[in-house]
Amino acid sequence: MKRKDTVKLISADEMEFVIDKDAAMVSQTIRNMLTSPGGFAETELGEVTFPEISAVILEKICQYFYWALQYSR
Amino acid sequence: MSAQKKKAFQIEEFKHRVVVDPKYAEKTWKILEHAIHEIYNHNASGLSFEELYRNAYNMVLHKFGEKLYSGLVTTMTSHLKEISNSIEAAQGGLFLDELNRKWAEHNKALQMIRDILMYMDRTFIPNTHKTPVHELGLNLWRDVVIHFHAIQSRLQAILLENVRRERSGEVIDRGLMRSITKMLMDLGPSVYQDDFEKHFLEVSADFYRLESQEFIESCDCGEYLKKAERRLNEEIERVSHYLDTRSEVKITNVVETEMIESHMHRLVQMENSGLINMIVDEKFEDLGRMYCLFRQVSNGLVLIRDVMTSFIRDTGKQLLTDPERLKDPVDFVQHLLDLKDKYDKIITSAFRNDKTFQNALNSSFEYFINLNSRSPEFISLFVDDKLRKGLRGVTEEDVELVLDKVMMLFRYLQEKDVFEKYYKQHLAKRLLSGKSVSDDAERSLIVKLKTECGYQFTSKLEGMFTDMKTSQDTMQGFHASHGSDIGDGPMLSVQVLTTGSWPTQPITTCNLPAEILGICEKFRNYYLGTHTGRRLSWQTNMGTADLKATFGKGQKHELNVSTYQMCVLMLFNDADRLSYKEIEQVTEIPTSDLKRCLQSLACVKGKNVLRKEPMSKDIADTDTFLFNDKYTSKFFKVKIGTVAAQRESEPENQETRQRVEEDRKPQIEAAIVRIMKARRVLDHNNIVAEVTKQLQSRFLPNPVVIKKRIESLIEREFLERDKGDRKLYRYLA
Repeated sequence: MKRKDTVKLISADEMEFVIDKDAAMVSQTIRNMLTSPGGFAETELGEVTFPEISAVILEKICQYFYWALQYSR
Repeated sequence: MSAQKKKAFQIEEFKHRVVVDPKYAEKTWKILEHAIHEIYNHNASGLSFEELYRNAYNMVLHKFGEKLYSGLVTTMTSHLKEISNSIEAAQGGLFLDELNRKWAEHNKALQMIRDILMYMDRTFIPNTHKTPVHELGLNLWRDVVIHFHAIQSRLQAILLENVRRERSGEVIDRGLMRSITKMLMDLGPSVYQDDFEKHFLEVSADFYRLESQEFIESCDCGEYLKKAERRLNEEIERVSHYLDTRSEVKITNVVETEMIESHMHRLVQMENSGLINMIVDEKFEDLGRMYCLFRQVSNGLVLIRDVMTSFIRDTGKQLLTDPERLKDPVDFVQHLLDLKDKYDKIITSAFRNDKTFQNALNSSFEYFINLNSRSPEFISLFVDDKLRKGLRGVTEEDVELVLDKVMMLFRYLQEKDVFEKYYKQHLAKRLLSGKSVSDDAERSLIVKLKTECGYQFTSKLEGMFTDMKTSQDTMQGFHASHGSDIGDGPMLSVQVLTTGSWPTQPITTCNLPAEILGICEKFRNYYLGTHTGRRLSWQTNMGTADLKATFGKGQKHELNVSTYQMCVLMLFNDADRLSYKEIEQVTEIPTSDLKRCLQSLACVKGKNVLRKEPMSKDIADTDTFLFNDKYTSKFFKVKIGTVAAQRESEPENQETRQRVEEDRKPQIEAAIVRIMKARRVLDHNNIVAEVTKQLQSRFLPNPVVIKKRIESLIEREFLERDKGDRKLYRYLA
């Protein structure tokens, strides 16, 4: 497990994707989830579950995050 | 598929398998409601953000957004009601604390809720134009908690109470105040203004009104101003610490109005400490403070300016009509200069060089200097005194300073041509008797006058200087050519004066002694030899002579006397005793002059080279004069009766005035002709206005005089009256 700031995204079929926090922050929703002031489970564990998103989709999403990061710099 | 089938086949929409479960919405909502409850109870740690987010998302997607929204509103409202109850229950000092805490919690909860319901916020709400979640939360807070009447009034009361306590010097919790005001501001600027600011300003106004009343009864002006300034600074500090910055302007306005504007007049006129006293005592600090404070208030500065102007005018008038002062013109002018200096200092140090004050000062000075018709004469005398002896040993810069100050006073004069006349006279005397301390100073003053009034003013004065120089050269030439002839006769030094430049003096008769006559003729021939076509006449009333005299016990003295006195004394070479009549006959000097010069020879203690019988102070026609053998003096060189510039006596003054009036007439006429030539046709009032404008740099013409001049011009056919309109004048070429 890389110890840099990472988050884990878990798909519906329990595939785990570990990506950098910066990449995850591209999505506003995930960003809010992780930085919400409340004591939600996500913030504490550093992992987000998506019971309605399949693994394939989630994989593409992660690739998008990295692409977005690369071209926004 | 056969090619014949041309049925347009539809592609059916891919329908998501919607769970149109009516209970679905209910269920989802229940989950969310439960979550909101938990958030408000600080139990959010067990929840999964993702789940809640997904639920909200689904609800909106399945067109249950309305339900979600209204549900949200109800839940929040009920929670807030609980909160407001708990706040109300808080006692006394804890009220603000409790309110603050609950507000912070509410904010946090609101943010969490917004995060969960982000999808709704982004899609549903803009579509239906409802208020977004965050705003909704604030509005609900405002409506339920703050505007809950019990809380509202208590909140106001406590906030104002705190401010009052701080004003009386207690220390309050500023941080708490800050957060509360911030809360009010977050709820909306109108909330802040209505709920707090308005009442704050009202209460402050009352408070300061009372306080200012108290102060003004008990303190004097300076102290009151100090206190006002302190309060003002306090308020500004308070605003910066826990109020909205926009309140700063409003509250400073209130303080200024109450403390300063309402008491402005009283402060300025206060006995023993008002504006006048501050000026007289030169309390710069107090004056500066008054200036700053009054500047914020409308008409504050106008008031100060008016009072100061009238005071200056009064002092000036007093100074001018005080007969004691007027006896010594030099002293008088010095006083004026000191006065001006004082006020300049006040304006620069206390009033920050405000231009309007400078203008007020200038106009007042102009006003009262011109009240006394002898001011031009006095100023000229002052300059004369300085140039004769006052500037001896003074450095060049100081000389410039003094002259600049004199120029300042000169600018205030309206009748500059009177000054010119006197100055010419005094300058003539100075130059001829060689009494001027510094030639450079004289010249620099002339230059200053030239820059001020133009070439015309100083052309004659410069002519005088040129004459002196030319005379020097002439004398050198004379001595060079005739030096051998003179031998041991009297030494002659001549100044040739051009009649136009020098002030005219009536020619007086005087019989010069024979020795003098001889050498005078020689000079006349020499001069006319080089400059033909000129006429020379001896001005015996302006000359001086140095005589070597031997007295009884053989003591020798060198006497410096005027030409008249020299004539008289030379007579005593042949006779020891002469009567007044004999002297008059031989010398042919006019009576008044003769009497004056005899007086200075015989009646002045320490300089009585002649003895008079009888020993009275005045000269009568029957007096006899004897050579005073017993004359003694400490000095070898004795100066007798030099022609110094003095204050003119009344009749002389009248005479000069008359001459000035005479001189003005042609100037006015010239101006009128100039104007009419340009304009051709002009009516009476306009002519008067134009003439005044043109001549005002020299003097202020009297409209009556102008009218007379116009009529004289009409007689001489320079102008004519218009046939139809009596007031119109026409220029005749």
